Amino acid sequence: MGAVDALLLAMLLSAVHKHSNVLAAVIALVGILANGVYFSKRTMPFKFLFPGLVLLILFVVIPVGYTVEMSVFNFQTGNVISKPEAFTQLLNNGLTPDSANTSYDMVLGSDAGTFTALLTNPATHISYIATNQAVKELTPGTFKINANGDAVGISGFTPYTPDQEANLDSVITSAKFPMPDGNFIQPQDTSTAALLTQTIHFDAKSGILTNSLNGKKYKDNGNGNFANISNPADKLYPGWKAFNKFENYSHLLTDSNVRGPFIGVFIWTFFFAATTVILMFGFGLLLAIALDQKLRFKRFYRSIVILPYAIPSFMSILIWKGMFNTQFGAVNGLFHTHIDFFDSPWLARMMVLIVNLWLGLPYFYLISTGALQAIPADLEEAAEMDGASGTQILRRIKLPLLLQILSPLLISSFAFNFNNFNLIYLLTGGGPTDVLHNKSAGATDILITYTYKTAFNGSSQNYGLASAISMLIFLIVASLSLWSLRRSRVLDLVN
Amino acid sequence: MATQAVKKNKPRISKAHLLSHAYIWLLILFILFPIYVVIESSFNPTGILTSGSFFPTQFSWANYKLLFTDPAVPFPRWILNSVLLATGNSIIAVFIGGASAFAFSRMKFRGRKVGLQALLLVQVFPSFLALAAIYVMMERVYTVFPAIGLGSLGGLLLIYLGGSMGVNIWLLRGYIDTIPLELDEAARIDGASTPQVYWLIFFPLAAPVLAVTALLAFIGTFNEFILASLFLTDVHQRTVAVGLNSFVGAQFGQNWGPFAAGSLLASIPLVILFLSLQRFIIGGLTQGATKG
Repeated sequence: MGAVDALLLAMLLSAVHKHSNVLAAVIALVGILANGVYFSKRTMPFKFLFPGLVLLILFVVIPVGYTVEMSVFNFQTGNVISKPEAFTQLLNNGLTPDSANTSYDMVLGSDAGTFTALLTNPATHISYIATNQAVKELTPGTFKINANGDAVGISGFTPYTPDQEANLDSVITSAKFPMPDGNFIQPQDTSTAALLTQTIHFDAKSGILTNSLNGKKYKDNGNGNFANISNPADKLYPGWKAFNKFENYSHLLTDSNVRGPFIGVFIWTFFFAATTVILMFGFGLLLAIALDQKLRFKRFYRSIVILPYAIPSFMSILIWKGMFNTQFGAVNGLFHTHIDFFDSPWLARMMVLIVNLWLGLPYFYLISTGALQAIPADLEEAAEMDGASGTQILRRIKLPLLLQILSPLLISSFAFNFNNFNLIYLLTGGGPTDVLHNKSAGATDILITYTYKTAFNGSSQNYGLASAISMLIFLIVASLSLWSLRRSRVLDLVN
Repeated sequence: MATQAVKKNKPRISKAHLLSHAYIWLLILFILFPIYVVIESSFNPTGILTSGSFFPTQFSWANYKLLFTDPAVPFPRWILNSVLLATGNSIIAVFIGGASAFAFSRMKFRGRKVGLQALLLVQVFPSFLALAAIYVMMERVYTVFPAIGLGSLGGLLLIYLGGSMGVNIWLLRGYIDTIPLELDEAARIDGASTPQVYWLIFFPLAAPVLAVTALLAFIGTFNEFILASLFLTDVHQRTVAVGLNSFVGAQFGQNWGPFAAGSLLASIPLVILFLSLQRFIIGGLTQGATKG
């Protein structure tokens, strides 16, 4: 416990040091609770529960909560920072060189400890002394000039050495000297500066940003951006992470750019999960029935049949990917063809189903065998006495019983394949994707790979939308699982 | 039961057997096809399966050599990363999960029922669904603690542990429930404290199911791709899954041979582990679907 405390304390200090308040609070809370639990005598159950609960809360409950939170925010590339940060950046972006491209020769130094610049306009030979607070014009004769007529010194002003300038890099790049007329002078490097005009003006009363160059007016659109009043699609970037209620969810159904791919993916996900379970169950059950008889080499067959289950599945998937390759894949080699399985939507879908059958067959063989053996033998005998044939027994007695025994496993297999990320991502990457028509989802993309693409792939990332899809998947999978748990009466055991 | 069925169906044996054999052999060919191809290509220095001939024409260890000598393909390091993650996850998960499961199964405390119901809900949630949230969260952790933040094996291990904890506690609790209550009552009468009951009675008794849980956690971690690919960007930090995928994806034709060799090497330990422990694993299957 001492060691844990020491570690937590060190982490706490480092978090505080780096101004990460949320992390510091979490660490402090874990520390206090841990001490409370392990030094008190009355908390025996929690001594056992504590580590597991901490892990569950930190890495499941909090991320889930955060997913819910993100799903109601406009949180995507361009809308990542907070509103004040975005606002500052917008105003900075509004600083543009004036039409004459006025520039200044500059000498940087310190005046009574204040970062100061001596500026001279080489065209007009007017010199200024500038700080981040103000820019003042200098009267000729009160300062030292060099051969070009540039101001290089004045009493109280000490120029920086090149070393000092190198250390002050961030001060120099963020310096902004305000002119009396509302424009700014900004250093371009260590010896020149440029005159910048503020082209974006904020009117605090009406909350309107105006671009003085083209007269466009922008207003906070309530969804993380300032948008053109006369054309809401014209937004200013950067925006900010903004609360947008159910907009991410309603986008899925109303925004035609999102809805099209989403509905296609949604249908294919269900089709894929259902077909795959039916195929695997069908082939697996038949295999179980075939191997349930007295056969020679039965043990040998069995150990071959469960081989795919033992091989790490990501490897099997990659191996199959190679085998379906057009030029040198073994499948094309076998049939002496040159079919591009990855390019045609239906061939790719068929390929996904075949590979998944290979992966899932052993599991379905195993559970079918288990279920077949769980059916009492006297049921079969009774049916035989009544004169039922072998197929009748299978269809009327065994199959219904099997389905009943296996339905929780079939449902959980459906849920597993509903989210079979590895298969799709590694085999086809969701493709083929119709890039020509600018589609964001491929023909074999299922919801989870589509979520992954939405959140992490490509140039623009939309965490908000991805989280909304995640929540939707969760609702579907959770209700399926709870339904199957209820069927298998696990819930009764809890109560 | 099987023998009985065969005996009574005697007249149709040959036909049924013939069909069964045909079906079984069809599936066996289907199952062995990729396995054969991968073995063949791992020894084939050209890396290309020449169409027409399925029988090995050349034999060399070149593909295997490349895996251990090419500095751009730190294959041994990938294996080590995967094994470290999988071992760490399985051992810690069993210890922490076992303790929590014991508390849920044997102790009375306020909030137990609510806790179990919450656990049931949580274990239904696959942790990768929250992946955007986890990513953003670990990105922030990285700025303060690089050792457990984004890109680190340590951080990934923590996420795996948290993500599988719900299922593990749930499965283990189910097993501990079946250990007779008389055992710990007897121990208590003999004066054992709760931690003693746990360590001296439960832990040895639950050893088989703990081993299965550990093994399933090991296989699950070894196979995990989505979080690992998102997290581990540095080539030396990658797991086998992420490393081999990017390796074979970069130059499919050229890297196919070494990839085949690498997958064989990485699979063999797991296949042996699996086949030798298949009785336990298959027994655990009916309790919860873990794959398929």
